[in-house]
Amino acid sequence: MKKILFIILSIALFASCERKIDTFKVDKGNANFTTYIAMGNSLMSGYADGALYHTGQKYSIPNIIAGQLQLAGSGKFVQPVVTSEYGVQYPGSTSKYILGYSSDCKGVTSMGPVHAEGTLEPLAPVGYLVNNLAIPGAKSFHMLFPGYANYNPYYARFATSATNMVVQEIAPLNPTFFTIWLGDNDVLSYALTGGVGDTITSPGFFQQAMGGVLTALTVNGAKGVVANIPDVTAIPFFTTIPYNGLVLTQSQADSVNMAMHLYQLPFVYKKGPNPFLVADPSSLHPMFKVRQMQPGELVLMSVPQDSLKCRGMGIINPATFYPYPIPSQYVLTMDEVYKIRVATQAYNTILASLATHFNLGLVDMNAKLREFQKGIMWDGISLNTTFVTGGIFSLDGVHLNPRGCSIAANYFIDAINAKYSSKIPQVNITAYPGVKFP
Amino acid sequence: MSFIFARATFQAKDANYQATLKHELNTPFYFYAAYKPTKKLSVGLAVNAPYGNRLAWQDDAGTDWQGRYLIKDLSFKAITYQPTVSYRFNDIIGIGVGFVFATGTVDLNKSIPLQGANGDGTLHVKGSTSNFGYNAGIMIHPEQGWSIGIDYRSKIEMKVKGADATFSVAPSLTSNFPNNKVDVMLPLPANLDLGASYEFGKRKQWMIGINLCYVFWSTYDSLVFDFKTKTPAVGRTATPSLYEDRMIERIGAQYKINDKVAVRIGAYFDPSPVKNDYLNPQTPSLNETGFTCGFSIYPMKGFSVDASFLYLLGAKRSGTYSPDNFAGTYRTGFSIPGLGLSYSF
Repeated sequence: MKKILFIILSIALFASCERKIDTFKVDKGNANFTTYIAMGNSLMSGYADGALYHTGQKYSIPNIIAGQLQLAGSGKFVQPVVTSEYGVQYPGSTSKYILGYSSDCKGVTSMGPVHAEGTLEPLAPVGYLVNNLAIPGAKSFHMLFPGYANYNPYYARFATSATNMVVQEIAPLNPTFFTIWLGDNDVLSYALTGGVGDTITSPGFFQQAMGGVLTALTVNGAKGVVANIPDVTAIPFFTTIPYNGLVLTQSQADSVNMAMHLYQLPFVYKKGPNPFLVADPSSLHPMFKVRQMQPGELVLMSVPQDSLKCRGMGIINPATFYPYPIPSQYVLTMDEVYKIRVATQAYNTILASLATHFNLGLVDMNAKLREFQKGIMWDGISLNTTFVTGGIFSLDGVHLNPRGCSIAANYFIDAINAKYSSKIPQVNITAYPGVKFP
Repeated sequence: MSFIFARATFQAKDANYQATLKHELNTPFYFYAAYKPTKKLSVGLAVNAPYGNRLAWQDDAGTDWQGRYLIKDLSFKAITYQPTVSYRFNDIIGIGVGFVFATGTVDLNKSIPLQGANGDGTLHVKGSTSNFGYNAGIMIHPEQGWSIGIDYRSKIEMKVKGADATFSVAPSLTSNFPNNKVDVMLPLPANLDLGASYEFGKRKQWMIGINLCYVFWSTYDSLVFDFKTKTPAVGRTATPSLYEDRMIERIGAQYKINDKVAVRIGAYFDPSPVKNDYLNPQTPSLNETGFTCGFSIYPMKGFSVDASFLYLLGAKRSGTYSPDNFAGTYRTGFSIPGLGLSYSF
């Protein structure tokens, strides 16, 4: 009997070892990935958590794409490496955000983004040619601006000449393939200043600049993929603080109503959430140029939280008893939101026609971000645009975290495969970290 | 008693990612004893492990695999004890009724997509339960050589009450993920079995048989976890599975070489109850086509040794578990050798 058992077991073990797996067959299609370069702004540079730091840069979208293109014959992908885990030092720069604890003006301790303690990287040229030409802060037309390195420390780190235009960095690399995601800052810089500290690039100028950049990229026959501009008003920086985040008790509402009545301001407050007061220069009121915020208007994450919580910003200053509106630079009004959306739409029409004109692939990041606004599931992870817990944005509320970058990289890969009949495998997004909780 | 050696592989959609289902080792067994106090009455006890699933996924790099937020490893075992009384009215017809006592254990691990200093959070659930059901059957011998049987086993609601749920998350998240008790529903589906066999030949040395088993899988429409201590992050979750009822078809033949040795051969088809858009790594269910062969030796009167071997055709299936948007291709191949002993007094 023992003998029979032994014979059967050995048959079974032998049979169980036989397994066939389909392997993914990588194919470069009709593209040549030998020398891959990337252009863009902070989103492509690996900037995250309010800084360009070592690990964030390692997980930059182009670096993730490059890892996959290397399976299809692409060479080394060089980035202007930051060695500090905290960021790059230049006037006004700060270290990266991490999740930590801080106490507010009311003495309440809560978890949120705090600056990490650590040494920033001194600003110095890296001294080698780089494949990732993405520059934090860059707008479309900055690529054609001679001597831009004098104005942007991130470009200064890898500029081959202080008088160069960024597009002049392309030719020495002799690229065969590129990805470009540029133009967000043409509207985002305006949005980040609440519509008061910057201007939206005119669509005509945008078209001219992007046309110039794409000409420089394709002049020697390189192929590539262009990503369009997502609606920046959908990112956590603008959506985390609600327009009606002023929460009052009944007695607070009663006293505010009395004050507003006294000032002859026609605003009525109730128990619960109420709209913040915002500066309104067009107000006809002789003394107080204020109004209540409307649904659809956005409060920026840069608004001073202690002023909101303890100094009456958005309602009444307890020291003067005067209405205390949120200053314009912390708010996007309906008019400003409208201008941002109109410009974004115009840019995306231009990018689509340029992609056709230059025969390039196109990634519709705008449509993708809209999907994330509603929330999507991916490999069992619930992902959306919520700050901290949404899973894709980093702690600055503007840039993607590594997992968000891996998702964007997969969208680029899809667009490459669609355009060039290639088979480049997607990356496993669960292998990329999200926000780290303390 | 059988040993199952199972292997499955997962290939992520549009990617070069692969993972392997490691060490799936099921031990379904079957025990049956009967006693005949009178010519017409018989009392029996069957102990059976009809459902069991133990699997652990690992990716080929040996790291935490891509589907870990759905499942890392899962062990689910049920054992049924079925005392049955049967009565033969005459040479043609007999009936049997019994009740079913089932015990089950569940033990699973999965990851939570919130990271701390040590990586992902995790959840471990472990619990056991038992419950009752019934079975009833009828056996007919309409004429010489034929026998036909119909048997129904009821659904058994296996509610694991108060299983231990242990979370491991970053310190700042522990208040949202308190260690907890959880209720898990694991219904065992009802079965309706129809079997027919025919013996023929000079020595009645041949027998052929068919068996149709209708499994009411649709009772398993979701896997529900109901946590006792609820927080914004932890509550009642229902993971839809939306199984569909399926018929298992089996056919077989036996030939008695002499009084001491019989050989048999068979085949079966066990279609997956899982829809294509609900194919998930918790139960990577594929249509199974199996071939069996075996022999029995009767070394002395009343005693037999049965050996069997089952080979499942390698199957391949692509699908997405749409509630979690988890897509890929699964491949399986099983072989199940079995060994049985029987003795009649």
